[in-house]
Amino acid sequence: MGLTKVSSIVLDMAILAESTVTKAVTSYNDDDNSAKKQIFESSAKLRFLQDEVSELTIELIARFQPVATDLRFIKSCMELAYGFSRFGRYAYDIIMVLEILGPLEHCDKLPVMRMSKLVMEMMALGVAALRTRDNSNLGRIYEMEEMVDVLFRKNLRESSQLIRSNNYSDNRCNISTALILKYLERISDHACYIADSVKYIETGMASPRR
Amino acid sequence: MDNLNNSLNPTVNEEINHLSSIDSNPKHESTSPFTEPEFQEKSDSRFKIENPKLSIQSLKAWFSGKLALKDINLEVKEKQITALIGPSGCGKTTLLRCINRMHDLTPNATADGRVILDDLNIYDKQSDPVLIRRRMGMVFQKPNPFPTMSIFDNVAAGLKLNGVKDKKLIKEIVYDSLQGAALWNEVKNDLDKPGISLSGGQQQRLCIARALAMQPEILLMDEPTSALDPIASSKIEELMTELKKHLTVIIVTHNMQQAARVSDYTAFMYLGELIEFGPTDQIFKNPKKELTERYISGKFG
Ligand SMILES: Nc1ncnc2c1ncn2[C@@H]1O[C@H](COP(=O)(O)OP(=O)(O)OP(=O)(O)O)[C@@H](O)[C@H]1O
Ligand SMILES: [Mg+2]
Repeated sequence: MGLTKVSSIVLDMAILAESTVTKAVTSYNDDDNSAKKQIFESSAKLRFLQDEVSELTIELIARFQPVATDLRFIKSCMELAYGFSRFGRYAYDIIMVLEILGPLEHCDKLPVMRMSKLVMEMMALGVAALRTRDNSNLGRIYEMEEMVDVLFRKNLRESSQLIRSNNYSDNRCNISTALILKYLERISDHACYIADSVKYIETGMASPRR
Repeated sequence: MDNLNNSLNPTVNEEINHLSSIDSNPKHESTSPFTEPEFQEKSDSRFKIENPKLSIQSLKAWFSGKLALKDINLEVKEKQITALIGPSGCGKTTLLRCINRMHDLTPNATADGRVILDDLNIYDKQSDPVLIRRRMGMVFQKPNPFPTMSIFDNVAAGLKLNGVKDKKLIKEIVYDSLQGAALWNEVKNDLDKPGISLSGGQQQRLCIARALAMQPEILLMDEPTSALDPIASSKIEELMTELKKHLTVIIVTHNMQQAARVSDYTAFMYLGELIEFGPTDQIFKNPKKELTERYISGKFG
């Protein structure tokens, strides 16, 4: 019974985390930071839910001393809840970039949008795997994370060339792009941890450190 | 998601698909864990112990022709604690009693197979059950001190029975055993008092001292704490980890947390069969058999 409750909170968190990141990326793309307050609140709510999961799981351990799949499920729920609260935090960081450095309508948004497409798909795959407890698509998440890393490094190199040749129109574009790419890269890492957790529940095998 | 995709430059999708060639740095081979066989097969291969102290091979036991143990194969590691778990009636006590040949003492009870202690098959015709029992102490569910004997005599009884006459030696062994059983401090001034005047937890430790006095190589414990309160239980548990420095312990317990806490290896039995055996950590975190998982999670039946 307690496990069902934890599970349902974690799934709620998954949906909220995914939509919060989407909202932040859309706001950036549309150069519209009117969703800032909403994103801040979602991020705070995710933090609150993370604490709740943490309390509940500790209570379940103390009261029922779970073992085997139940124990692995609880460990994974703690990690999943943390991961989703990070999603909220990075969404908030993204909207803050827009708030502080914006408006950014003259910036080239392609690098961020390109990476966000991958990251959104990774989140969606991770959340779907968690909901269905189906491991068959997790490999795709790990592959995409490698692509995100490649994109991140490629963009940094390009930015550094622009700075060196001193012909970048507006440094705010350069900085905002770099920051948001970094947040997206972090989200993609956490999407992998989500995949790891789903895999751990089912197989009991820890994934190698990346 | 959808509106995001629409707002993307149409070239993005294509680019992403060819990303691997973008990176100008040499990229090492994929480190994805999924390039290896996806998930380790839950294998049937039996977990084995190297150089076991005790090796139980194809052991079967009957009561009046009724099979109670069906072909048990199990190894016990020296100076480690092996827990036997399983529902009531699955054969845990019978297995313990087969290990020290007490099963022979039950009328109409028979056993077949091999139980090898070091290199001695205790079911060999030449093997002497009395000598074997001396090498293995046993502690039962209910503390059973000899009711008419003092604390001292309870511990000394086995020695005297075995013809030890040297009073000084007996005293030395009794004191050592009481210390070994973590009872000494509580009884050192009352050695003449009757054993049954002690509390249940103390009586159980007295029984452990009595077993230790015979200097056994293996200690068989059949639910040794089921009649004790948590404090007395945890004393016995602490004692077990102390004892395993010198001897091999096999404990039957219905308390999953106790098995998880104290044992190094766990064997799960069901209806006279050994279902799963492995390191305790693995059994409680990731059992290979569904039956084990259901039993230890309390989802049986
Ligand atoms: N003295 C006996 N005579 C006949 N049958 C017996 C005797 N002792 C045990 N049995 C039978 O052998 C089977 C195994 O019993 P055993 O006492 O070994 O189970 P157990 O796992 O120790 O159970 P518990 O957890 O209740 O102590 C049971 O079916 C039991 O009825
Ligand atoms: Mg029994």
